[in-house]
Amino acid sequence: MFEDIALFLEVSLSAGSVLLLAALGEIVAERSGILNLGVEGMMSTGALAAFYISLMTQNPYLGIIVGGLSGLLLSLAHAFTSVTLKANQILSGLGLAILGIGLSGFFGKPVIGMIAPSLDIIAIPLLSDIPFVGVILFRQDILTYFSLISALVLGYIIYYTKLGLVLRTVGENPEAADYMGINVDLVRYIAIMIGGLFAGLAGAQLSLVHLPTWIENMTAGRGWIALALVIFSLWNPMLAPFASTFFGALSILPYYLQIFGFRVGTGLLATIPYLGTVLSMTLISMSRFRKYLGAPAALARPYIRGEKELYK
Amino acid sequence: MVNRREFLVGGLSLAAGLAIGGAAVASLKPTEEVVTTPQEKEYLKAGWIYVGPVGDKGWTYAHDLGRKYAEERLDFLETIYIESVQEKDADRYIDELVEEGCDVIFTTSYGYMDATIEAGKRYPDRIFMHCSGFKRSENVGTYFIRMYQPYYLNGLIAGAVTKSNKLGYVAAFPIPEVVRHINAFHLGAREMNPDVETYVVWIYSWFDPDAARSAAETLIGQGIDVLAFTEDTSTVVEVAEENGVFSFGHYTDMSMYGPNAHLSGQIANWGVIYEDVLIRAYTGVWYSKDYWWGFAEGAVDIAPMNKYVPSDVKALVEERKALMAEWTFEPFTGPIYDRDGNLQVPDGERASHDHLWNMMYFLPGIVGELPTT
Repeated sequence: MFEDIALFLEVSLSAGSVLLLAALGEIVAERSGILNLGVEGMMSTGALAAFYISLMTQNPYLGIIVGGLSGLLLSLAHAFTSVTLKANQILSGLGLAILGIGLSGFFGKPVIGMIAPSLDIIAIPLLSDIPFVGVILFRQDILTYFSLISALVLGYIIYYTKLGLVLRTVGENPEAADYMGINVDLVRYIAIMIGGLFAGLAGAQLSLVHLPTWIENMTAGRGWIALALVIFSLWNPMLAPFASTFFGALSILPYYLQIFGFRVGTGLLATIPYLGTVLSMTLISMSRFRKYLGAPAALARPYIRGEKELYK
Repeated sequence: MVNRREFLVGGLSLAAGLAIGGAAVASLKPTEEVVTTPQEKEYLKAGWIYVGPVGDKGWTYAHDLGRKYAEERLDFLETIYIESVQEKDADRYIDELVEEGCDVIFTTSYGYMDATIEAGKRYPDRIFMHCSGFKRSENVGTYFIRMYQPYYLNGLIAGAVTKSNKLGYVAAFPIPEVVRHINAFHLGAREMNPDVETYVVWIYSWFDPDAARSAAETLIGQGIDVLAFTEDTSTVVEVAEENGVFSFGHYTDMSMYGPNAHLSGQIANWGVIYEDVLIRAYTGVWYSKDYWWGFAEGAVDIAPMNKYVPSDVKALVEERKALMAEWTFEPFTGPIYDRDGNLQVPDGERASHDHLWNMMYFLPGIVGELPTT
């Protein structure tokens, strides 16, 4: 029984870790006050770039790096429109999502169904022998380890360092940050780029670990679920692994229930992560709830010096 | 509130994203490719409509191999195909193939059934062949392959190789075709090993690698050491290789996805059906009928058995295959009871075409629900 539960959690963790990477990046961006709805597009591009490089060079680690960088590159488009041009972030983000999916689908056509070298599961010696915890935490792939470590590191940076204070100030009150001499636009640019990098890495994990191949639309809405995860983890990177594992568990639950003979609508169960996404997207678009959940006060609000009143 | 400038710039960037992304999508699917242009005037033109990309390594890939096979063997033939056609768009692309001058049109997805029948009425001078359906008319025929035969042979191997006596099956939808495959696989396994149980997990999709992966990992977690599947990806073979268990490929030889895991698999040779239909069409002796071809006609096969299949099992499989090719052996021969104890096929009788096409029961020893709607 214990073994079953450990195995279930292990698979949940790995199923959720793609979401975790993307959500962590988005948390950083949203903490700076930038809502980037283009996660799906950046993930899709990252997945293709990582797969393509891994296929061409036979080196999946190079694939990870290029996958991350391609997400970062694409995120610059959102940074330019939302920070430099002060445009509506929701529209710009949606545009980015469509752009990323379209581009990756187009350029990925020649490599559909090919096999690239994929990343292996790395069992950490000694630690992986610990009963229960070892099975869950220490038999994963390199990007899952990276995502868990990132959650801790980002959590520490955001809550316990000056850098984190700067980031949070820009997201809560860009006017105050500006008075203090912080370059609001620069901070937001960097936060968006970190978001893009992580979304690209999430895509790389998808095409190098999760389903080691490239198919069109392989992100299958994960970018949108990642946006919901940001809200479920209350913009706290350290809560994100729990939220992502929960979503991962939801996605594999239908198959477990079938084996153990529960007669439930498996199709219905599979919709839960998406229902959660719709619900949380509804909540975040209502400003009253946003404040209640602890969202950055300036989220999705462009900062234009001296034009503060326009947005109130 | 959103001010005007912000809205305008955002709108422009959204429009740009839509335009570029949309253009990329539009040029992406479905694409059309003219394959050959023979110089002779006396030729026959055939067109295919595919539901997936030709690179899917599964269903559509197998059909495209069939198209190439026919084209290679018939020098009067010119072919054309349209890939990634959604089922709702089928009639539009059938029209396009007719405009391109196709004399014979193959529609290769169950969901194209009604569109194909309608097209048959619109173009009474053309020949249509619909794959996997049951509706026919004067100029619309149907075709399918007896995939349960290789599944049965793979079941023999699975029953002989399993150590845990637990087999797993990742299945797309609870429809007679898939149920027939599961039963055939289980029938073979039970023949070699009466203690075998087959665990079935439905993923409710033909093409969802992630669902297939989760289902396969779940099954492996329950101690299952041999996997089979009916869905259109190679994911199960990959997952089996990663976890050190065995698997069978589906539709094409998938051994490259799991050199150790891939014991054997089911192979479709659509080409022999295409060749027959096209020769008949060319010589004017085609008439509307249902092709259901198997080992006897060479329309199905099994993938090469790998080194983990014991040699005596290999010999048995080859023997049964030869018997099936002569119609002297058929897996679904009575007495066959379902898992509720009802006699489905009487002693000594073979299951009929209609029985097999309406099969919605599981054999004893198959674990998992069989949803009926």
